[in-house]
Amino acid sequence: MVEQQAGVIENIGVHGASDRSTEADLVRAAQRGDTAAFDQLVRAHDHQVLRMAYNLLHSEEDARDVYQEAFLRVYRNLPKFRFDCSFSTWLYRIVSNLCLDQLRKRKVRQEESSTFEGESGQVDRLQFVAEERADVDPQRRFQSAEVNSRIQEVLAELTPRERIVFEMRHYQGMRLRAIGEALNVTEEAAKNCLFRATHKMRAALGDFV
Amino acid sequence: MTCQDVQSSLSLYLYGELDFAQEEEVENHLADCAACQLSLAREKQWHTLSSSQVQEPPLRLLAECRQQLRPALSPAPSSWWRSLPFDIRFSRWSPQLAIASLFLCIGFTGARWMDNRAAQFPNLATTQIRDIQADESGLVRIVFNQPRQIEGRIDDANVRGLLLSAARQADPAVRFYSMQLLNRQNDAQHADELRQVFFDAIRNDPNPAVRLQAVDGLRRFAADPAALETIKFVLEHDDNPMVRYQAIDIIAPPDRDIAITPATTQIMQDVLRSGPEDEYVRARCAQFLTEAKLPIVY
Repeated sequence: MVEQQAGVIENIGVHGASDRSTEADLVRAAQRGDTAAFDQLVRAHDHQVLRMAYNLLHSEEDARDVYQEAFLRVYRNLPKFRFDCSFSTWLYRIVSNLCLDQLRKRKVRQEESSTFEGESGQVDRLQFVAEERADVDPQRRFQSAEVNSRIQEVLAELTPRERIVFEMRHYQGMRLRAIGEALNVTEEAAKNCLFRATHKMRAALGDFV
Repeated sequence: MTCQDVQSSLSLYLYGELDFAQEEEVENHLADCAACQLSLAREKQWHTLSSSQVQEPPLRLLAECRQQLRPALSPAPSSWWRSLPFDIRFSRWSPQLAIASLFLCIGFTGARWMDNRAAQFPNLATTQIRDIQADESGLVRIVFNQPRQIEGRIDDANVRGLLLSAARQADPAVRFYSMQLLNRQNDAQHADELRQVFFDAIRNDPNPAVRLQAVDGLRRFAADPAALETIKFVLEHDDNPMVRYQAIDIIAPPDRDIAITPATTQIMQDVLRSGPEDEYVRARCAQFLTEAKLPIVY
């Protein structure tokens, strides 16, 4: 089966064996105090970390906090890292826990809206998507705004755990096994979570497909 | 497997998360069941719709995060002293051996220190310190942050060489900026090299912002058969709608008369026949063929 999901996958679950050994070497060097190696580890993962936090939290400020806190925790706890899992898995465990905490704290069901913080302040997600292509026909703009609105509603209705599993699988392209490891649950539990999330998404978008 | 079993597995099937046997069963069922084929098409469609929701964080935000992280990092995760094996740190040394070692150490490191002092202590006014580490004995290690940098005109061969190399670096922000600058290169002598970088990025770069820049770079090569082939690849295979829209805009610009050639016509017909389920791209292809007064065959 061909999976049309290659997109923006750069990290976890898609590294080859040589990448993993290079990463392990970098981790060992960073554990010895090599700050250049630590920098390289950050650079290899930070875009994906920020992207995940930004998409889950829809806030530049919160995404920035998660980024900062995640890499600080990694830095402080690196000497204790014993390669029980891959570095990526460990990093994503930290990131997903921070995002889950944020989602729970904010009671995302009540607070989620279609607006998010853009480069020039609060931006309505729907307008943003529609205006990206001002030259497309009005019917398409209207429909995509409606679809986006519906998708945002469903995402807001997912439980924090469903939301994070859906984000990791659907948007970040992570394998369920890696998601399970990152969330410290079994692959089966991650699969059930994804199943529930996709069921809700399918039901909500049924009218549009 | 019943239709209900198959339909409830379709998402996992599309994600490639079914095991081999389950996937075989689903595919066998799909081969003979029109209703489940329709469900699969609908499943693919909502996957595509929801995928368009992904937001790339601004590169400015990434740069700010990196800048803020550096000073926030406290001294090293472990000092060199702590990283020594336990038995070396705390084994019982005889007093004689300890004194002998001390003199040997002072003599050896002292001579090296005197020789290299100038090299070890660079100009403090211009030196940035990245990290400071210390152990309990009072030994301090200061790590300098001394990035190398070069400056040059955009048309300089060395700059171009570095930009071409930067287009393949791990950091997506570096790839993005290098691609953006390569787009501004007008050196006809190196057009082939440039075109190849764009081709590679379009087909292999995982980051859509980088691919978008690379597709834009093909604008000047739009008459070239290999570039057209790559644009067709984008229309048929790229999973990001903005990258696809950029590609269709190159061969059928919305703001001026389109150049109808046999090659572009062929691409439009091929995409309509076999391309992705992207209504916008399909509509633009159909519009192109209508303007070219050619039949539309789905």
